[in-house]
Amino acid sequence: MSTETPQGLWQFPITKFCMICTVSVPIVASLSDSKYWFVLNYDPFITTYRQYFRYILFQLAAVNESDVAIITLLWYNFRQLERLMGCRKYLSIIALSWFYTTTILAISNKLINLNPLFTWNRFPTGALPILLALFHFYKEYTPQIYEFEVLLTQPFGSHSKQLRWKLNDQFVINALIILLCLNQGLTGISSGFLSWLCGVFIDKGLFPGSEKFRLPFLNDRMNRSATTIANSNVTTNNSEGEPPQGELNEEEIEEPGDEPARPLGVQFLDTFRR
Amino acid sequence: MEIDGNTLIFIIVLLFLFFSNPSGDGVTSQYEYNQLQTLKDQFRREHLQFHNMTSDLNFQNITGLKLSYHDIVENPELNATYPIEGKDYEHWAASDEYMILPSEIINEIKQNVWNEEKNVFPPNITSTLHGQITLKSNDKFQKIPMPIPRFYEPPDDFSQNRPKSGETYPSEWPNYGELHNVTFDRGEIVVQISAASVASSSYDRKTERFFNTQSDKWRLLQLQIDFSDNSEQEKHSMTGRAVYDVARGRILAMSQSAKFHSIFAFPHYMNLDGKEEESKATFDEVKQLLDEYWNASDYVNTLTMGSLQNWYDLANYRCEYVVFLQLEPWKDFTPDQIKIIDDELTWPLGRQANLSHLPHVNISSGFLYSPDCGVALQLGGVSGPRYELQIRTIRIHLLFGIGLLAAQIYLLLTQMHNTNTPSSVNKMSFWCFSMMNLVDGSLALIYVVASGIFIELYLPLVMSAFACFILATVFETRYLISIYASQLNEHNVGIMTLLRGNAHHEERITPTVIPDEASISSSLYGRLFFTLVISTFVILSSTSWPRDLRTMFEYACITVLNSYWIPQIIRNAIKGNEPRRRRHLEDSQRQRQNKMPLLWKFVIGTSIIRITPVIYVFTYPSNVLRHHKDVRFVVILILWLFFQIAVLYSQDILGARWFLPQYSIPEGYSYHKGMALADVLEHGGSSDYCVDCAICMNDIPLYVNEVPETHKIDRNSYMVTPCSHVFHTQCLESWMSYKLQCPVCRAPLPPL
Repeated sequence: MSTETPQGLWQFPITKFCMICTVSVPIVASLSDSKYWFVLNYDPFITTYRQYFRYILFQLAAVNESDVAIITLLWYNFRQLERLMGCRKYLSIIALSWFYTTTILAISNKLINLNPLFTWNRFPTGALPILLALFHFYKEYTPQIYEFEVLLTQPFGSHSKQLRWKLNDQFVINALIILLCLNQGLTGISSGFLSWLCGVFIDKGLFPGSEKFRLPFLNDRMNRSATTIANSNVTTNNSEGEPPQGELNEEEIEEPGDEPARPLGVQFLDTFRR
Repeated sequence: MEIDGNTLIFIIVLLFLFFSNPSGDGVTSQYEYNQLQTLKDQFRREHLQFHNMTSDLNFQNITGLKLSYHDIVENPELNATYPIEGKDYEHWAASDEYMILPSEIINEIKQNVWNEEKNVFPPNITSTLHGQITLKSNDKFQKIPMPIPRFYEPPDDFSQNRPKSGETYPSEWPNYGELHNVTFDRGEIVVQISAASVASSSYDRKTERFFNTQSDKWRLLQLQIDFSDNSEQEKHSMTGRAVYDVARGRILAMSQSAKFHSIFAFPHYMNLDGKEEESKATFDEVKQLLDEYWNASDYVNTLTMGSLQNWYDLANYRCEYVVFLQLEPWKDFTPDQIKIIDDELTWPLGRQANLSHLPHVNISSGFLYSPDCGVALQLGGVSGPRYELQIRTIRIHLLFGIGLLAAQIYLLLTQMHNTNTPSSVNKMSFWCFSMMNLVDGSLALIYVVASGIFIELYLPLVMSAFACFILATVFETRYLISIYASQLNEHNVGIMTLLRGNAHHEERITPTVIPDEASISSSLYGRLFFTLVISTFVILSSTSWPRDLRTMFEYACITVLNSYWIPQIIRNAIKGNEPRRRRHLEDSQRQRQNKMPLLWKFVIGTSIIRITPVIYVFTYPSNVLRHHKDVRFVVILILWLFFQIAVLYSQDILGARWFLPQYSIPEGYSYHKGMALADVLEHGGSSDYCVDCAICMNDIPLYVNEVPETHKIDRNSYMVTPCSHVFHTQCLESWMSYKLQCPVCRAPLPPL
């Protein structure tokens, strides 16, 4: 497998779907003023109103904007996982994580609230639990490609020592995960930890399903991983300004001697450009 | 730009002008300062009296309340100058001897309007209510003279610093006619109730706070009442504070102006029943409410020139009204349920409130009386949904509208994709899409205007405006530009020539240089925005026209704007498509060129998308726009649209010109024709009657009229342009899908 990922998202249908959902569901919800359905608090929604469906809803949309941004970026970074597993397995793992994290969070929430000293009321919003579960898979199966050091000469005044800071190519995703957890406070950190444990258990087989369970309605066409060979090669090459011979010939045969037909998008842009 | 001394001075002067605008109270001159001080002194003085008043004392020197109805009946010539000789200032009773209301009205309100019993009423009644109003009498009661102090008047000259003293009486005013009288018998009324539960003690209203400590019993409201006759020829309105008795569902509203300081009258007028102890308690509580409002809003110190001028206008042009309303109780709810409902409406969380079954805010009975105009009006059947529920309904409608717009954008894109060559775009009608563009663009502007008014609906309104704007200015205008560009050839050409398809090309005066898309687009965008601004102004102003005129205008506009397929039908007839049967016989290339320009998906979809809102507004009785119901008009409109689509379909089946008589259809320009020998020789024809195709540089064998041996050559294999240049059919047709210009001499080409 090449170290270079295919460009764009057209080989990552699940990643694309998740990113679009992460952004569009909150937008539609705020347009229709129904964002509050995605908030889950133990009291009053579960204890008083018995709105158990909120267990299913709360991971579908993040309530505040910064969470939406971070979650979208994380889905984008997790596209490596889709490439590694293939669409079908990736989607199945997401579904499993969703199921297990929701169950574990709900059960542990009930258990903790049994003691009278301390109540855990607020649940995280957005796909934080799923992402934390996937984070384990990411760390486990994605190799580290390079690392680099940041040298800070005397960062804290003239008497301090030189600071040496070792970072690798995954530091962006680590930072995003930390931000995501901190952004939701204690709830984010604690439920993030629980979800990460879920990821570990799913991977180790303690929670069954990661090998056997596959979502049934997906056909075989989806069951392939994004590759860098074949079509994706063409796109990478094209962007480097060296069009492959074959394609150009095809175009020439279609439209002999003409300027190529402009697609609709180009026509729009040309209106404003010229 | 170099900054020298002069520029610096200019900038400083400019900044001075910017920052030296009137301060918060809007005072701009010494005269206005004195005016405002006089007003403030007057209010301070009156408030001092109000402060010392108890439930058994009469009003003394308070503007508008100096005379009682009884005083005027006794002596109609009496002037409202405090103190009035022989007037009893030491007692109070709810009778015409002390009040500005005649005893008949007082009894009517006691018996038929206000209830005594306590019940469950919604504490929060922000809403807009609609209903009927009936005139009880406009000549039976004496008019109480309410003078306007002269310090309100604007100065006579610039040197005047001191406002005039004294007062003017109605007999000295010009005759305001219907403004000071109600002449219709029945009409419509709109009551807008909003809560006035917060007040700010500064001009900018940044630090608003709740002031009401008795909000479970008494609420202060802001009321706006508009009423007019059914044809909306005569309109009246009243604005003022109101006190709402939550326990009994009674509302008392009074207008305030330069001649009537009603804010001091609420405690007395809230008590119409004579029970002593209860009325004393009521008086004290209402007085406390108003005192809290007075202190929280710092009433006197936040008076501005704006309120002064507004009150002066109101005093001149409007009657003062005292309004008594009785709400219908929400008997099916407990106070706890109502609290949950209120919380859910103001701060939705998904509580179990069952909002879909919430009853309307309903005024079971109501009475308006104008003491200075002597007009008594009764209202009935006034009801409406809670404001928050109304907002929810509108939001759902807006979301549905956004869906329609998205569907329209998708359909337009497929249509544009279907006609992406100049030859096929040429068959489209410019005016067909102009009409759609006008509607969408005006809608976008109306949405933008509305988004500034309805703050709660800002997001969906802006989203709708955005969708409309994208549809109108990006997609439709882009399409219009390409249609316009492809039809430039036909400018300056008569319709008969067009029907004939440029047979006599030598008559035409056309520019050889066709303007490029950029200049076309700038001119079209300019035209679009100009039309949009004009049409939006017309539409917005039409909402305030009298009903008959407005209805006529509306019906005419809707009918005209729903005739958008008519230009396309005419365009089809001009271009003259072949009937479908004949098209099928032709080879695939010709078939592609000759297909119907409009996709059926687009025609049907667009018609449905554009007629759906009209159907909703005209047939659904309680629609959000409160538009009247007229099923007949909608049926006619649908039939009219259906007729247009049927004609379009018949043009597809029978040929575009089937309804034109045969003699009016001359032959169109034919690219496939034989050539005269002289022409061939002129074009450098070789001995075997061939010419070079300027596109592919190969020989074209020609059909020459004078030479019989060339007659076996297929005339469809080459094309002769109006400028007598010859090309292969394939070569020229593929060229014509990019430009309708002759490749050799750039003369315009008639489209296929």
